[in-house]
Amino acid sequence: MNQLVTQAIILSRTDYGEADRIITMLTPDYGKLRVMAKGVRKVKSKLAGGIELFSVSDITYIKGKGDIGTLVSTRLSVHYGKIVTDLERTMAGYDFIKDLNKITEDQAEAVYFELLHRTFIALNDPEISLETIRFWFNAQILKEEGQMPNLQTDDEGVRLEAGKQYTFSFDRTAFVADAHGKFGAPEIKFLRIVFAGHDARIVQQVQGVDALLKLAMPMVQTLRLNMPH
Amino acid sequence: MANVLFLEPNILLAQAYAQALTLAGHTVRVVQGAQEAIHAADTALPDIVLLELQLPAHNGIEFLHEFRSYPEWQHIPVVVNTALYPVRIQAARQVLEEELGVVDVLYKPTATLADICEAVRTYGAGVAGGLYPGSAS
Repeated sequence: MNQLVTQAIILSRTDYGEADRIITMLTPDYGKLRVMAKGVRKVKSKLAGGIELFSVSDITYIKGKGDIGTLVSTRLSVHYGKIVTDLERTMAGYDFIKDLNKITEDQAEAVYFELLHRTFIALNDPEISLETIRFWFNAQILKEEGQMPNLQTDDEGVRLEAGKQYTFSFDRTAFVADAHGKFGAPEIKFLRIVFAGHDARIVQQVQGVDALLKLAMPMVQTLRLNMPH
Repeated sequence: MANVLFLEPNILLAQAYAQALTLAGHTVRVVQGAQEAIHAADTALPDIVLLELQLPAHNGIEFLHEFRSYPEWQHIPVVVNTALYPVRIQAARQVLEEELGVVDVLYKPTATLADICEAVRTYGAGVAGGLYPGSAS
């Protein structure tokens, strides 16, 4: 019997029969998993408490012969309970989960578990605005999917200069020198922080973050929309 | 007449709603929390759910996602009856209606008992008429 132990975040739960559910999880060790959780629909099921959304659980499961394993036990490791005290954050949380579930359809590296975990931590922190979290999340997705804009050199391969202004070329996913461009040194530095950052809190702490988000948001959103998924 | 599941954390309000709906001929079960509501729906299938979004522990959005994840509950009409300002609901309205199957949103401070009864009559009646075949009781 191949019994495995790992951490997991729930991505989705679907019905199976009278009392069972198939749970899709993101794990740091085994990527995306689909496991059968028996009896979780019953209110007193021991499993039910360990498979909350917006939480990380320690799970034990048996690897099946097919795609779907069987969940043996779950224990709630950490629950980000402040998320559900705010409806907008709850809805955003569901959006992020849905987004990652879609993106990881064909692949699921450990980095996506970390990204979703860090997103929950950010959503659980009322000091970090939803706009900042959305921006940071989308930037991290672009980075992991290899769609990050070039923040080092311009479209001709020349290193970006502090004294110059730039506009962003979506065709080349790079900046183009433009005296009337809206991206200067502070804006590009901000983008470097966002794309390098493992923590949305750092982005929130940047001086003038609201104006910077307003300027850079359309760029990140457009890149996300154009992402091959 | 409809079998109503009423998710309302305020006990006094819940009693008033339940009384009005019972007088209108409906069968009403009042629950205070999301998990309790899931259990109640599992025990007896409701024709319609009335829901406050602001709940203790798990909120109404969580309830809706959980509720809609069960195929046999996906077509049961849900009417939101909330004290949240309409402007806050407005941003979420598309998701509530298109993804979570909310058929109507009432603003609790201005919604009368008659409005609640009318919503149940309108949407709860859809069950018997075959509008929501998945919830036929």
